[in-house]
Formats: sequence, C-alpha cells, structure tokens
Amino acid sequence: MGYGRRRYSSKSHSSSTFGLNITSMTDMFTILLVFLLQSYSTSQVEINPVTGVSLPKSSTESNPVEGVRVSLSANELKIGERTIASLKEAQFNGADVDPNDSNFILPLFNELDKMSKENAAKDIAKGDKKKPEIEEGRILLQADQNLNYAVIRKVMYTASMAGFPKLKLATVVGD
Amino acid sequence: MSRRLRKPRQIMSHEFELDLAPLLAVMVKLVPVLLVSSAFMQVMIVETDLPQAVKEAIAQNNDKPKTTVQLEINKKSGIKVIVAKDGSQKVDQIAMKSESEYDLSGLHKFLQHVKAENPEVFRIEFAPDANVPYKDIVKIMDEVRRSRDKDVRFPMRNQNAGQSADQKDRAPASTDYMFPDVIFANMMDG
Repeated sequence: MGYGRRRYSSKSHSSSTFGLNITSMTDMFTILLVFLLQSYSTSQVEINPVTGVSLPKSSTESNPVEGVRVSLSANELKIGERTIASLKEAQFNGADVDPNDSNFILPLFNELDKMSKENAAKDIAKGDKKKPEIEEGRILLQADQNLNYAVIRKVMYTASMAGFPKLKLATVVGD
Repeated sequence: MSRRLRKPRQIMSHEFELDLAPLLAVMVKLVPVLLVSSAFMQVMIVETDLPQAVKEAIAQNNDKPKTTVQLEINKKSGIKVIVAKDGSQKVDQIAMKSESEYDLSGLHKFLQHVKAENPEVFRIEFAPDANVPYKDIVKIMDEVRRSRDKDVRFPMRNQNAGQSADQKDRAPASTDYMFPDVIFANMMDG
C-alpha cells in the first residue's frame, strides 16, 4: 500500500529534482538576523532578571559591570539567589531593622560585612583570587521601579555602611 | 512544442540564478546561535557612587566645590533646584506638570541654563522625599545626566594647568554631558 502510494507521487513529478522556493525563507532569515544582531549586547556581564522585580527604564548607555548583586522587590531583599530579608507591603520588618537606626538593615549589613571580610581574608599567596568587585565595594542594585525612595535608601545606606559605596542601579533599555 | 523550447532560452539570457545555498547555510546557523545568546531584556546601569560617610567628610574638607547643584524632589510640589554658589543660594521651583507628572522638559531646560552658567560642575545632589517612587528618580536622573538637544553643548575646562601652546589655540573641547555625577545627598541623614 505504502509502496504503491510512493510510486504514485514520484510519478507525478516531472523530474527527480524539484525547485524549492526559498526566497521567502531567506527574506525572513535576513530580517531576523538583522534584528538579532542589532539587539545583541556586547557586555561581558550577564544579568538575569529577578522575579518580582521590574526594573525602571532609562536612557543610560553604560554597560553593566560586575558587582555584588542585590535585588529588592516588594516582597524580599536578595543577594544573588539568597533571600536576606523579607518585606511586607514594601516595608522592612521591624526585626530586620536596627532599633537605634531606622535606616539600618541588620541582615544585609551582616551579609555584606561577612562577604568583605571573607574576601579580605583570602590569601593571594595561596592562589586564592580576591574578588575585585567586593574589594572596590561595587553593588549592582536591581530594585523594583514602583518602590519608594525611602526603602531603597535604606538599602543604599546599609550598603555604604558595610563598605560598599559604589552603587550601580540596574535599568532596562527603553524610552 | 515551440513555446516550450523558447521559454528556457529567455531565462538564460535575462536572468541568472544566484546560488543562495551557502548564504542560507550561514543564516541557518547564525540565527539559532544569536537567538540562544541574545538577551531580550537589555540591562544597563546608572552609576551613582555613594559617598561613604568618612570619605565625604574628608573630601568636603579638602576641596569643597564652590558651586553645588541640588535637586529636592517632592511628590506634590515638584522639583526644587538649589544652586549654591560662593555662599549665596538660588532656589528655583519646577512645578508639577500635572497631578502625578513631573515637568521633566522644564527641568531639562532649566538645568541647561545652570550648566551653561557653571560648566565646571558635573556633580548633582539628589534629595528625594521618602515617598517618591524609584522610577521617577531614574527618570529625573535621565534628564539630568546629559543634554538632549544636539546643539546645546558645554565647554570643558582643561584640567591640566601646563598645557602646550597649540592646545590653547584649539577650540575648547565640549561635551553634551550636564551632570553625570549623581549622588544622593540625603542618604546619610537620619
């Protein structure tokens, strides 16, 4: 049965080769290629979007640099993938804030302080590599665009207290 | 029969077949590679170096800039521009455009004037109120950082005192950056 059908279809072609019209495909590929090349970012550092954080749009043209990745959404504060503190209605919990200084977030300070101490303790002679971003105190802050300045300021304040004064605000390309 | 014979000859004389196969082969390979590696959300950064409490104190003692530009951002009343020059202060208020919209173009125009008067100042201090949304701060930073009009440029003073004679004859270098050095002034306040 199958054999018969194949014989029939091969008979319908006038020759053994047939011309496939690839013009439209080439067309599509060209457009796709141009689009992809144009949006191709040349930066060395890859930043993955964090869930729950919608970054603000900005017209800045500076490429991201390596830094300690701190992300702040309406629900939690993270360093990298680790959750450091949780927020309720875009406010820090009372337990996480220093009772004497309302801008001081204790868990964030402890974590950053630990990182910089660990980095400083690394011995270059033993072949350990010191991380330049921690040494220079660079923070890459990915904060949700709808948060208020008050809560972001607390993070900036704590970070600079912990010896991370160079703050980079992550933004997305837009108008 | 005669028609069938004529047709191929016409094609041979007027058209030629471009061999698209290698081009296609390249594209078929390039497109998946780029698709996989491309980031559809391009993340960029805004640099705001926080002044460390101590560092700032030292810097203020050593070389206190003569002119400072400060923006006070309030959700209700708008943006207040404070230009402090040689002890005297000039305060200007940029009112809100509407209930929730800052007059960004007005601010931009005003800061162009400020920059034209003080071309040596690159630092601007932000003092937003606690309830100002982050996205508005970033928007205002965008306005402040560089001039959007292509024809508005600002002269750059040469930092080196001992410059050669032919450098002096040249037209002064100019820049479209207004205040790229944004710092948050009220961060350290309690």
